[in-house]
Amino acid sequence: MSVGTRTTAAETQPSYLADKRGLGEWFSTCDHKKIGLMFLGWTVFALLVGSLSGVFPVAKSLGGRGLEPRFIFEATTYHRLLLLFLFLVPALPSVFGFFLLPMQLGARNMALPALSRFSLRFYVIGLVLILVSMFTGPIATGWTLAAPLSSTDPGSFILVAAGLFCATLSWFLTGINIFVTVHYKRAPGMGFFDMPIMAWSLYLTSYMLIAVGVLFGVVIAYLAASRAGDVGLFALNPGLWTDYFWFLVTPSVFFALLPGMGVVFEVVAGISRRAVVGYRMVVGAMITLLGLSFLTWGVYLAGQGQGQDPTTTLVFSAISLLTAVPVALLTYGLLATMNQGSIAGDGPDTFMVGFLLHGGIVCLMGVFLASPAPGAYLGTTMFVSTQLDYLVWGGAVFALLAGLHYWWPKMVGVEYSREVARIGGIFAIIGLNLALIPRLIMGTQGVAQDMIAFVDGPAGLSELSALGWLIATLGMGVVAGNLYASTWSGRKAEANPWGAGTLEWRTDSPPPEKNFETPPEIEGAYRY
Amino acid sequence: MTGSALLSTWFPEAASTHAASVDEPFYWIYFAAVCFLALFMGLVLIQLRVYRRQDRDQLGAVTGRPNPVFVTLWVAAAMGLALFGFITGLPGFINQTTPPWGAFEIDVTASQWAWEFTYPNGHVADTLHVPVGRPIRLNLGSTDVSHSLAVPALRVNKAAVPGREVQAWFEVTTPGTYALQSNTFSGDGFADMRSELVAHAPVDFGAWMEEVSDIFKGRTLVEVGELLYTRHGCAACHSVDGTKLVGPSFKDLYGYEFDTIEGARVLADDAYIRQSILEPNISVIAGYQPIMASFTGIIDDREIEAITAWFKTLSSKGGAAPDAQEEN
Repeated sequence: MSVGTRTTAAETQPSYLADKRGLGEWFSTCDHKKIGLMFLGWTVFALLVGSLSGVFPVAKSLGGRGLEPRFIFEATTYHRLLLLFLFLVPALPSVFGFFLLPMQLGARNMALPALSRFSLRFYVIGLVLILVSMFTGPIATGWTLAAPLSSTDPGSFILVAAGLFCATLSWFLTGINIFVTVHYKRAPGMGFFDMPIMAWSLYLTSYMLIAVGVLFGVVIAYLAASRAGDVGLFALNPGLWTDYFWFLVTPSVFFALLPGMGVVFEVVAGISRRAVVGYRMVVGAMITLLGLSFLTWGVYLAGQGQGQDPTTTLVFSAISLLTAVPVALLTYGLLATMNQGSIAGDGPDTFMVGFLLHGGIVCLMGVFLASPAPGAYLGTTMFVSTQLDYLVWGGAVFALLAGLHYWWPKMVGVEYSREVARIGGIFAIIGLNLALIPRLIMGTQGVAQDMIAFVDGPAGLSELSALGWLIATLGMGVVAGNLYASTWSGRKAEANPWGAGTLEWRTDSPPPEKNFETPPEIEGAYRY
Repeated sequence: MTGSALLSTWFPEAASTHAASVDEPFYWIYFAAVCFLALFMGLVLIQLRVYRRQDRDQLGAVTGRPNPVFVTLWVAAAMGLALFGFITGLPGFINQTTPPWGAFEIDVTASQWAWEFTYPNGHVADTLHVPVGRPIRLNLGSTDVSHSLAVPALRVNKAAVPGREVQAWFEVTTPGTYALQSNTFSGDGFADMRSELVAHAPVDFGAWMEEVSDIFKGRTLVEVGELLYTRHGCAACHSVDGTKLVGPSFKDLYGYEFDTIEGARVLADDAYIRQSILEPNISVIAGYQPIMASFTGIIDDREIEAITAWFKTLSSKGGAAPDAQEEN
């Protein structure tokens, strides 16, 4: 068994990038790979704009002059809204759900190709509406859009609400598409337990996207209505919004780690040339996590201190502690898959390590927050907002980078410099932790959540954190520049550079538009 | 700040009986979590090195089964950590849910963007003064949006939500001045929503209480009159700008003559104002209902004097108030 010999695509087929070029084609395409690539571009754009708006609070914390509090709150609001609703939740399922899923299932396209296009369009419309509101009248309600505040804020709240509605509609459409694709587009002979773990994680995420996408769209419409016409649920009872918000946002935000986990499983199995050890155990753990994540929202609601009665708080804390079991099973599966493998270093592994470190920190921070007495104290401090930072940059960004460095040869058909990727990745990890650990300390010291700009905490921590951001940005810049440079200077990639065992590696790099000439034969999820 | 201080000082110096039940679980979980993370990341990094691919086509063990012993140990360790965190944090939380009997009560009202602390004797302040060594119970409320009251040195952090009364309690152990803030974003002025908690030794607190109980201290008669107007909620029925509410406005009242509902004529002088506060429904100005409650035993003679002095400043026939004369 040698690397890269099995391709079922005919040699004469042009790649999807070479075939049907031109802007019009990209605009109207239903090809899942092009849609996936465009989702990559747009979600990274949202990540960039969101991260840039986070620069102002940091500048203020360093003593920046001429930055009015209102402006800082606007920046913080958009920082979180863009990072959570337009990057954290949709990025991994959209990029890999579209680009990768059909190939992993041995299919030629998504089950609902026309709907793929609308997923992307609604996402872009949502993003543009929110960006437009930044110029017509930025809102400063905080990212939770708390009901009495959001109905009185002088900014263009309706635009933001319309943007979030479109964005969550895009979640919903993406979820439906993934769900139907998994059910109807698996190659002949492929059972559910012959799907790679990545496909499983996307499938389970689709449940979350469908449920939360449609419900969030409805409640955000209600919120907008209660502002516009003094009608609807939240005009009568503003406190209700807080309940709805955390009920919907907590699971979708924390479940965002799961597609990241799927990426990492795929990376580990692929570069180790192993089948995932304890495959069914891992799938079972993921299903359990899906169920539990719908039940943990009360911990964050209690953390926000919305007068929830103490017994309820304890019940939610206890439930959230149960997530330790599936998380332990998943991490065991990862460790066991590496064990006795044949691991190709230099490439996605740096980012995989980063994801595991930061994902581990997010999970362990959950223990602090679910512990009743410390949780009550820390629930509204910067400790909590730093958990979100770890989730976004440490979790989603590192999972995206691990995935990109693993599938880049498949996506664009070139090899990047693995040494540069490693150096950049190490700087990004060091920088990020240097940026966030001081914020954890500020949180326990009592600084309020998302209040980096107005800090009375221990001297020097703000400066240390800003230095960390600088290093992390440089590292990320090197990583991104390396990938970008590879598109013209990179060596042409082979079909299966890692010697991995899943179906997407059996077609060319980059694949032709129809992926596979004939449906690939199936022998379990991983075949070497 | 040195590196070692950075590692050891997670919390501000503790100043309440409750602090230890937050800090100790935190440090225990912290210690366990760091060990756990180090173990996990160690295993990842070591395996990445040990099982590194040596040549391009090398294939290790392709399939494998989970080791039941390791799986059990790993899950037990994770669950143990979670349970341990939950159990160590439980006593402090339960203790916080029930304020002890006989606690000194203070009403806290949060609004955009200020704090108002009301003491049992009616004194209202924008800083929180408490005695050391005695349980303090706060009744938290909000007039507009959600706020929260946090005093990091006491490890106290409770929501103040409109329409709900939330209770918090604590007992300060060390006299001093501690930062008090809101942790819940409440709009444009949020960054200004800061105050202080001043913890006095019991003797000093008694003296402070006595000092602030005397509302005449440090105030002119007119200021006391105006303070009483807000403190007793008179504004609900009586305007000061001439607007007709449930009761007559206090603007241009003193020194004027009015018809009463019985058809008599009455001059709003010192005696009439005194009567209208203590026995308000004897002689009611025409056009209003005799529905005001008596303030006998609530407002004393000296305070009536202050109110009258303030009324004079509101009326064009009041003449210059005595205080104003002194200043001129």
